[in-house]
Amino acid sequence: MASVELRNLSKSYGDVEVLRDINLIVEDGEFVVFVGPSGCGKSTLLRMIAGLEEITAGECLIGGQRANELSPKKRNIAMVFQSYALYPQMTVAENMGFSLRLEKRSRSEIQRKVRTAAEVLKLEALLDRKPGQLSGGQRQRVAIGRAIVRNPRVFLLDEPLSNLDAALRAETRVEITALHQRMDTTMIYVTHDQVEAMTMADRIVVLNGGVIEQVGSAMELYNTPASIFVAGFIGSPKMNFIKGRFAESAGAGTIGIRPEHFQIRNEAGDWTGEVAIVEQLGHDTILHVRVPDAGILTVSLDGQHGQRVGDQVHLSPISELIHRFDNQGRPLPTRN
Amino acid sequence: MVGRYLLVFFLGAIAIVMASPLILTVFSSLKPTTELANPPWYPPFDVTFEHYFRVWTEGKFNRYFLNTVIISTVDAIVMIGIASLAAYALVFMKYPGKALIQALFLVGLMIPVTAIILPLYSIVRSVGLVNTHLGVIFSDLALAVSVFVFMFSSYFASVPKALHEAAKIDGATEFQIYWRVVMPIAKPAVVTTALLEFLWSWNDLLLRLLLLPSDKMRTLSVGLLNFQGIMTRDVTGLSSGTVIIALPVVLLFLVFQRHFVRGMTQGAVK
Repeated sequence: MASVELRNLSKSYGDVEVLRDINLIVEDGEFVVFVGPSGCGKSTLLRMIAGLEEITAGECLIGGQRANELSPKKRNIAMVFQSYALYPQMTVAENMGFSLRLEKRSRSEIQRKVRTAAEVLKLEALLDRKPGQLSGGQRQRVAIGRAIVRNPRVFLLDEPLSNLDAALRAETRVEITALHQRMDTTMIYVTHDQVEAMTMADRIVVLNGGVIEQVGSAMELYNTPASIFVAGFIGSPKMNFIKGRFAESAGAGTIGIRPEHFQIRNEAGDWTGEVAIVEQLGHDTILHVRVPDAGILTVSLDGQHGQRVGDQVHLSPISELIHRFDNQGRPLPTRN
Repeated sequence: MVGRYLLVFFLGAIAIVMASPLILTVFSSLKPTTELANPPWYPPFDVTFEHYFRVWTEGKFNRYFLNTVIISTVDAIVMIGIASLAAYALVFMKYPGKALIQALFLVGLMIPVTAIILPLYSIVRSVGLVNTHLGVIFSDLALAVSVFVFMFSSYFASVPKALHEAAKIDGATEFQIYWRVVMPIAKPAVVTTALLEFLWSWNDLLLRLLLLPSDKMRTLSVGLLNFQGIMTRDVTGLSSGTVIIALPVVLLFLVFQRHFVRGMTQGAVK
């Protein structure tokens, strides 16, 4: 186990600066998720920690030791790639034991460690197969197994679930969380999926345009976003942003209301609108309501509701849960 | 349907035209001298292998064959090594001057052998390698390395970068990645290189004629010239010599055809 510390880290390709002044401490045993839209620099940041990308400026410390000049091997990290990156000519057992073979460990030790990891990941029956004979989920487990056998100080995972279907993604998400709890190793996980980030992370790092927007637990980010970007990125369905007279009346440039923070009332009011789309999810009903001066608002209601397209609904936001932002997208203090 | 018959007829006609020199050569090599007056497209009525024995012993093809096998085999093996290592360095590694080295290899693709044959001869002579197999092998490698570096580079470019990175994280050195990760999955490129280089080396005449003047160092392609004087022509000797030269290459191609085609088309489509 080891902590990871990033001090004023920057990365440029020629004149293009892709990461700027990144400062972050990942504690020993912590599960941190880097999340952000495509091109925000999250994978580049992970690759810099892994030693696969050069650091343009700043420092990366692993276990308190400066790692800028260390090769990936000497950093004692393990990485799981989006594409799995399994060696196609090797069996599952050979893939998992490759790093140990390079370290010239004894055959019996390699076999023991591979078998232990295979048991944890339910891969015992597949040890003699080649990657080409495995399903996507099995390949992903082998990639995780390859990382486990090394007993690394830090686990790095680069969008490991993005090639899996939705059901398998949810299942593997739980397995990775359980694995972290069992191994208690520092894990840094990159994803563009905020649901993955919120369900797995001890802390989430939200990146946008090469800078850190906010660092915090899932609930901190959800309840007190540090910017309009974080407010919009965290939470599903997305927060509604409203400008114009509604925002002015709240003393803000923009107000943000989460879909689940609307209530349906019986009497007409300012927030009366017409239902444009209805999404029935069983446990939730999502309405897209066209409200004059506010645009189309997403409203999430618990349980099953009978509204139909074209119906008039009278909405009412929970006033103490309205987020206020200034014209630069910075949050304004909550009104009491 | 008519179109299909026309196509089969057309392709069949082309196949016959293409194969006819080989068929006629085999016919001539198996004919006794008494049948030589027959038209060349007549098959041998009384098949004989006497010309093969004659060429093999009197024509010294036994020695030439050995010389050719040695040169072609060493050429093929060493070419796989140097071309794949160079291509690995060009595709997977970062270092200053890489673009320049790439450009130099590209230039190597563009220069015809005949344009540099005399300076090459001077160099080989100045280092005392004329009339040695080593001189021919070095020259073969130098002249063809660009082609095979280019071919290996195309193949390696299709290997996912993540494999190289995963191996680096697993603690492999660059050579270990080359040897244990990249080369085992580059078999089609290896087979194609081995076959092509072997074939080129086996069939080459110009360099061997120039660099191997001594009879005991000669290769098959040069030896074949013994059967063709200025005023005379030993048709049966030439034919059986040609079959002896062609046979190993044809057999190799038939055995490795699948790999060969795969290697040649690698990178052509996604």
